[in-house]
Amino acid sequence: MRYINIFLIFFSLLVSSGTVYEFSNDEDEKRFNKLLNDIRCPKCTSGSLSSSNAPISEDLKQKIAEMINSNKTDNEIKEYVTKRFGKDSLYEPEFSRETYILWFSPFLVLILGLFFFLLRRKI
Amino acid sequence: MKILLKLIILILPASFIWMFFLLLTEDDSIIGADYRNFALPEFNLEQLDESIFIDSSDLGDDYIINVWASWCITCRVEHPYLMSLNNKGVPIIGLNYKDEKNDALEWLSKFGNPYERIIHDYKGTLALDLGVTGAPETFLVQNGKIIAHYQGEINESIWNEVFSPIIEEKELF
Repeated sequence: MRYINIFLIFFSLLVSSGTVYEFSNDEDEKRFNKLLNDIRCPKCTSGSLSSSNAPISEDLKQKIAEMINSNKTDNEIKEYVTKRFGKDSLYEPEFSRETYILWFSPFLVLILGLFFFLLRRKI
Repeated sequence: MKILLKLIILILPASFIWMFFLLLTEDDSIIGADYRNFALPEFNLEQLDESIFIDSSDLGDDYIINVWASWCITCRVEHPYLMSLNNKGVPIIGLNYKDEKNDALEWLSKFGNPYERIIHDYKGTLALDLGVTGAPETFLVQNGKIIAHYQGEINESIWNEVFSPIIEEKELF
């Protein structure tokens, strides 16, 4: 019986630590957790929001939870973050005109390489 | 044909090296400075030294916003420079960040108050909307629009490098 009490005390400590975010459904919670992994903590060298409990990260997590609960889309949330903390807040660069070269340059190099390989064989 | 091929093999890596050289060395910006323009976020927060609520319409046209707190050691270092800026006639709005009211007021009475008005942002909501990651940080505001932002302590050399050029260009203050 004594052991059960000790166990209960430890268990309740675990439950009370950290902030609890409330969502109306499971899907929102999944979105929240995915966003936390996709967004960099503004104060860290490299670490996602989910890995950080810096005060600024806690604020940002709270804000993201609020935005999800007011039916904002993932893109709107990401826009909110990048507008304030820069484009490097997103681990995966967005797909835009500025980043085409980033996304396509490996394929370009591959195609060029293949081209020269075939050209060489012919000669 | 063979010569052309050999030439391309030489040119291709060389142009890559050139591209990276240009990309990596062009950066002449100052670390912590940021000149993206965005509108001052909406807010309605209590003033630190009076129990009235203020919003952006109470702040005037052109001013700087300085994020500070009594727990922030660098703010203490920065403080004399803010005093001298205020003496030169630069309007400074204080954003008291996640601070206890009494601590902040005591800090001001001890060291002096360079601020025209101070917003008490206890929860850091306005600071989050501004993109503040810590204290001190300083924003330059023109007609409700942020035109410059610096993360860290401002002093004479930072002021001259980061803020003076844009202030002269826009003919502020």
